[in-house]
Amino acid sequence: MSATTMLDSAAEFDVRDYLRAEMMPHFLCPGCGHGIALRALLWAVHELAIDKDRLAVVSGIGCAGRLSAYIDASTFHVTHGRPIAYATGLALARPDLHVIVITGDGDCLAIGGNHLIHACRRNLKLTCLMLNNEVYGMTGGQVSPTTSETRVTSTTPLGNSEPHFNACALAAAAGAGFVGREVTHHVPKLKELIKAGLAHPGFAFVEVMTDCTEIFGRKNEMGSSAEMVLRQKSELRPSAYRDTVDMPFAAKDLPTGILARNDRPEYGEAYRRAAVAIKSAADNPAAGRKSRQ
Amino acid sequence: MRDATDDAAVRAVDSATVRQPTNVLIVGVGGQGVIMISKALAWLAQSQGFEVKQSEVHGMAKRGGAVFSHVRFGPEVWSPTIPKGEVDILVALEWAEGLRWLPYLKPDTGIFICDTKRIVPPFACLNRHPGAPLRYSRETPAEVRAHVLEAYAIDATRMAEELGNDRAANVVLLGAVSTAMDFPVADWERAVTEFVPKKTIAVNLKAFGLGRGWIDDARRGTPAALEAEPVFATPRAPADTPYNVRLEITPGWCKSCDICVKLCPERCLQLNSERIVELAIPEACTGCRLCEWLCPDFAIRVHLDSVQDMVAAQAGARQ
Ligand code: SF4
Ligand code: SF4
Ligand code: SF4
Repeated sequence: MSATTMLDSAAEFDVRDYLRAEMMPHFLCPGCGHGIALRALLWAVHELAIDKDRLAVVSGIGCAGRLSAYIDASTFHVTHGRPIAYATGLALARPDLHVIVITGDGDCLAIGGNHLIHACRRNLKLTCLMLNNEVYGMTGGQVSPTTSETRVTSTTPLGNSEPHFNACALAAAAGAGFVGREVTHHVPKLKELIKAGLAHPGFAFVEVMTDCTEIFGRKNEMGSSAEMVLRQKSELRPSAYRDTVDMPFAAKDLPTGILARNDRPEYGEAYRRAAVAIKSAADNPAAGRKSRQ
Repeated sequence: MRDATDDAAVRAVDSATVRQPTNVLIVGVGGQGVIMISKALAWLAQSQGFEVKQSEVHGMAKRGGAVFSHVRFGPEVWSPTIPKGEVDILVALEWAEGLRWLPYLKPDTGIFICDTKRIVPPFACLNRHPGAPLRYSRETPAEVRAHVLEAYAIDATRMAEELGNDRAANVVLLGAVSTAMDFPVADWERAVTEFVPKKTIAVNLKAFGLGRGWIDDARRGTPAALEAEPVFATPRAPADTPYNVRLEITPGWCKSCDICVKLCPERCLQLNSERIVELAIPEACTGCRLCEWLCPDFAIRVHLDSVQDMVAAQAGARQ
């Protein structure tokens, strides 16, 4: 996209058009990166001119899960770890909708880990936005599957000694049609990535590196909110993904952008086609039996 | 034993008989092909039986930084670099780079051949205010010609574009340079063939011919060459419509996180006594939107009001 059109879109897009004004200000802590991620998502929705009536946002539990409440569209705030399961049902029943899942690292990879890998495997058209802040913020800062080694949380006061997940490698290995990662510091790039994910015909997994300023930042003495945002820049190391299958535990490597993409058949399409075939076979038993012989 | 006067006499004879090397300085911006044409020239001079020394500096070249290459050839070459004021031919692939190196040209006989292509370096845009003038050189070819004995401003990039490959601009300039030396044309073409990418040999040979022909025409002062005088407009800042920046702040949404204050490139925001954001230095704000984008609480909206619209609105209100 050229610079001018990007500037035009920025001038045109007012995030408040997509928010429930009566719910604002939102409940997130000062400086929480989730708000920036929400802006990028809504900007992408705006640029794709997705009708609010055709937008369904499903979210789980946690600080990230709360975001759906602020979006002026059809939103569902569901049980812990299950937003992908709910969204799967919704997307299968209503293929005319754009279904977006907003989830956090704990919600998506721990409580809902199974739902994620099977959603990747099925490749149903869904966009899953996982906001990774390396911690369970809402419940007081417990260690999560993406907490980096040595980080202090309320359950690892002496520093985390577990290896952490590389969620993008996991999703790519499980077969997701689209996998990408970006940091909140680069809002226009994050918007572009989410847009590409939304436009992808299969399961799109987007990991957003965001800052939990109040809990994770404070416990790990990472400085003010502004310093945390700037820290993303110094840690960002864009590079092409190497073998995703071998990398689910690669530490200290933060490739960004579109990391994996494939054009496997979309599950909803395949499912509907199979359903039509089975139905016509049932309506016409003779033909069905003959074809089975 | 000879006396001092003899010594001086011998030295005088030496400098008269030993031919000084020919000094060619090629300058430009990373990615334009400075090194490629200097290699071709060095290779050609060597094939003609001269001693050649070439040295180059390309610090931040890949990022669009300055690149320069010294090529010296002659019966005998000692130093690989050319001293100031000793350049016989200064070839520049970028206008401001060319001007920057002019002091290296031999004041009385030096030839200056320069592409009028302009690549504005980041440090010429330090003032990020909308519509701010660029600090790129404003000298026109006519002004430069008035100061240099033999100077050619050639729109090599456009000529190469017309051939269908703007990357051949460096070879257009090489063609221009070729007129200043008496190597056979066939050998020049061999050098071009040797160094350009295999797929682009044909277009580069055409580019070489164009450059050579252009200088010949210009020397003869034929109308065609004079008409080919480049249209020289100094580059402008990208924002040509002036606009006023207006920040719309929703104080009730601001949570005093300080992100916008610390990340604003112009440092024009601050938290007021209630720790709510405010625009402290409105005249410094460029409307870059970073604060709008990075505010996690959607408390800032940047409006760029075009000045024309505002004037029209005021006129409308008066009627
Ligand atoms: S606890 Fe952390 S993640 Fe949750 S709102 Fe606060 S800063 Fe954000
Ligand atoms: S738009 Fe915002 S970030 Fe940019 S200069 Fe103005 S106040 Fe600073
Ligand atoms: S970034 Fe937003 S919430 Fe934070 S201080 Fe600035 S205006 Fe207030």
